[in-house]
Amino acid sequence: MSLLETKHVSKRFGGLKAISDVSFTVRPGEMCFIVGPNGAGKTTLFNLITGVFHPDSGSIHFDGRTITNLSPDRAAKLGIGRTFQIVKPLRNLTVLENVMLGAFLRTSSPAKAEQEAIKVLKFLQMEKVLHLPARGMGLPMLKRLEIARALATKPKLVLLDEVVAGLPTSEAIQLAMLLKRLPEWGISAIGGIEHVMQVVMRVADRVMVLDHGTVIAEGLPQDVVHRPEVIEAYLGSKYKEIVQ
Amino acid sequence: MKRWFFIMMGIFFLLALLVPLVVQSDYTLQILFRVFLFAALGLAWNLVGGYTGQLSLGHAAYFGVGAYSLALFSKAGVSPWVSVLLGMALAVISAAVIGSVSFRLRGPYFALCTIAFAEVLRLTAKNLPNLTGGDVGVQVPLLFPHSSTKAFYVSGVLLTMIVLALTAWIERSRFGYYLLAIREDQDAALAVGVNTARCKLWILLLSAALTAIGGALYASLFLFIVPDQVLAMEISTEIAIVAMLGGAGTLIGPLVGSITLETASEIFKNFFKEANLLIYGVLIVVVVLFLPEGIVGTIANKLRVFKAAPIAPFDTSEPPDADEEAQRAAISE
Amino acid sequence: MLSSQGRSCGSFVNWFYSTIQAILNGLLTGALYGLIAMGMALIFGVMRIVNFAHGAFLMLGMYATYVLFQTTGISPYYGFPLAGAVLFVIGYATYMGLLRPIRGQVDFMVILLTMGLALIITDGVQLIFGADYHQISIPLLSKNIRLGSQISINAPWLVSFAIAAVLAVVLYFVVTHTMFGRAARAIAQNRYAAPLMGINVNQVQAISFGIGSAAAGVAGALLLPVFYLFPEVGNQFKLKSFVMVVLGGMGSIQGAAIAGLVLGVVESLTSLYWGNEWALAVDFVIFILVLSLKPSGIFGSQRA
Repeated sequence: MSLLETKHVSKRFGGLKAISDVSFTVRPGEMCFIVGPNGAGKTTLFNLITGVFHPDSGSIHFDGRTITNLSPDRAAKLGIGRTFQIVKPLRNLTVLENVMLGAFLRTSSPAKAEQEAIKVLKFLQMEKVLHLPARGMGLPMLKRLEIARALATKPKLVLLDEVVAGLPTSEAIQLAMLLKRLPEWGISAIGGIEHVMQVVMRVADRVMVLDHGTVIAEGLPQDVVHRPEVIEAYLGSKYKEIVQ
Repeated sequence: MKRWFFIMMGIFFLLALLVPLVVQSDYTLQILFRVFLFAALGLAWNLVGGYTGQLSLGHAAYFGVGAYSLALFSKAGVSPWVSVLLGMALAVISAAVIGSVSFRLRGPYFALCTIAFAEVLRLTAKNLPNLTGGDVGVQVPLLFPHSSTKAFYVSGVLLTMIVLALTAWIERSRFGYYLLAIREDQDAALAVGVNTARCKLWILLLSAALTAIGGALYASLFLFIVPDQVLAMEISTEIAIVAMLGGAGTLIGPLVGSITLETASEIFKNFFKEANLLIYGVLIVVVVLFLPEGIVGTIANKLRVFKAAPIAPFDTSEPPDADEEAQRAAISE
Repeated sequence: MLSSQGRSCGSFVNWFYSTIQAILNGLLTGALYGLIAMGMALIFGVMRIVNFAHGAFLMLGMYATYVLFQTTGISPYYGFPLAGAVLFVIGYATYMGLLRPIRGQVDFMVILLTMGLALIITDGVQLIFGADYHQISIPLLSKNIRLGSQISINAPWLVSFAIAAVLAVVLYFVVTHTMFGRAARAIAQNRYAAPLMGINVNQVQAISFGIGSAAAGVAGALLLPVFYLFPEVGNQFKLKSFVMVVLGGMGSIQGAAIAGLVLGVVESLTSLYWGNEWALAVDFVIFILVLSLKPSGIFGSQRA
């Protein structure tokens, strides 16, 4: 029984076929990562799932319902949380207020929202910056803020778009370890996009490789990484032989 | 801090209400009426422009609808205050139409669209003399007996208090947070479940209704209106400038802005006579260059006291991802 | 059929010829409109600035040409380069002095600033020249070129059409074939990558603003013989420019030019069938329709 399922989803922008016939599933309890070279269409896939764009063909299902043409806010209400690859903090609000926004999805009381937000921020070890404005914060904090805001919406599935990109490796690994604890929050599953393989190897249950909008490999991280077609996608055909 | 603020506001409005006991000059009361009228209008605009970040330059539409409703419905026999209510209703309907078209647009497109709608209304009013009296104008009934300027002044103060209270209430509610989120980043707001289209529409409806009341009051004071007066772009810009000069997105910004601007206007008119518009223009330029967050906004930033974050002038975000922008139509949602 | 013109539902021939005449007049006016719009489109395309002082700049061009004519007798059709030069300088200075410092701010503020500037300019001119309407008279004004028995073209409009058309082509050429034009287009497409290519963004933007303003100034000069001159004259053209720029696709110079012609014809036909007073209203209705149905405009393809 899958939590999220895309079936033969395709999307083109003008002449560019961004996503071609992509089918994949995320099951409850899984941490599933999508990897692939730049321009592979990973963020587009997330945008399709969360309703920022709608697929040209194919269907998307979540928690038993068809969500193919839903708007992003409906997707959020149904329990899909997401972070953005290019962080989108609400710059004129404080860190706490940013996260309260997420919490407001599940409660209309500012007091309760504040409590929820504080809990989430404590989990992400951000208590010190609660009342600082989001503008002017460093990238590592902003990345955590993205996650915190998404977590505050109490999603069943959270989609993390390159949450560790741009972070120094030590930070990245720290964050990755935190991510492993996400199930504590009642989050059923996680989908992530990542470049940083150290994180993927440590955290992922399953990996899917996208290249030029199509799935070229899927499976356990340690298996997928060695496949020739994956190496070729990242490094070019010259290197295919090196592995073999 | 909060309590201190409430007390100050309370004293201020108490004094304001007592003014008619001391001031007898009709002329002065008219000026003071204008101060509070535009404070109320600015506060109403602030809900859409300041908190939600949607720069409407067409609020004259709602102002004019309120004014003309009062005039035309009473001409048809409806009692004046009921006409005002009808005016609010019509303004709400106008806002629904205008909003549903305009809110799909972002940035300057939105502003231009609001201008277009207001201009269409103005030109329609001008060109349908059988309905609206055209450029010749139409009479407006008295809302208060004996055309008492004092009564108008007090109603201006009361309207300001009402809109201020509404703003304060919204500010601390979930809806208020949602509006700020829309202003800061609509996509982020959507991603956490905010129905941005609905929120924007609702706040515009509220803003329009309040603006219409202002229009009716104004019309009734002057007893006679023409399209180039109540549907003019000058009204739209004055409302927006009052709010921005004082501090868009702050609670009392528009009030401060109105007091400053209207007083300055009076001084300019008396001192500079013909050059008063030029000085007005200079004021606008100076504010944009040096006080982009408005008076209250700048003070609030320095002191970090008020809660509602004013619009910060400089967007220090990372450059948008070129692919992302290419994928997303910059205009519509 | 023909309603408010007081004409009897006369012959089809009459209707036909008056329509043709209206279309012709519309095209002539439209060329001028197009020039104004091209200026605004250039500015918006390169800098995403909606210049609310564009109309005031047109008015300045008109007054500059008027002063030139009054003092030296030089006809606007020879004197327009002066208007262009003056407005180029003013535009360049405006950008460098007022707009560049607030580059990072929200669109609001830029609009507000240009509004303030427009007020300053308009009121300033009123202080200097007074609010009276002025008019100039040149011999060309009375010349009409007849096409057949029913159609005539007023010579000044033909001259202004020719000049505007030439300038439009020149502008198009500059934007598409010169280094400057390429730099401007680069900035329009990606403001952040442009400096990485060695483009001096500030200079190019200031020059673009200068050229765009010059276009308005020249249009003002060309308008002088056929229009009343008064401080507020720029207002209507400013609003129409918005319509044209959106209609043509924000930032598209060709689009703006064509939109100018379209608008000229539409206004002319509207005046013919419904009366002058509805022309501006129709402009705005078109504006709203375009924004609702195809916001990227007729020629818009690049992100706005």
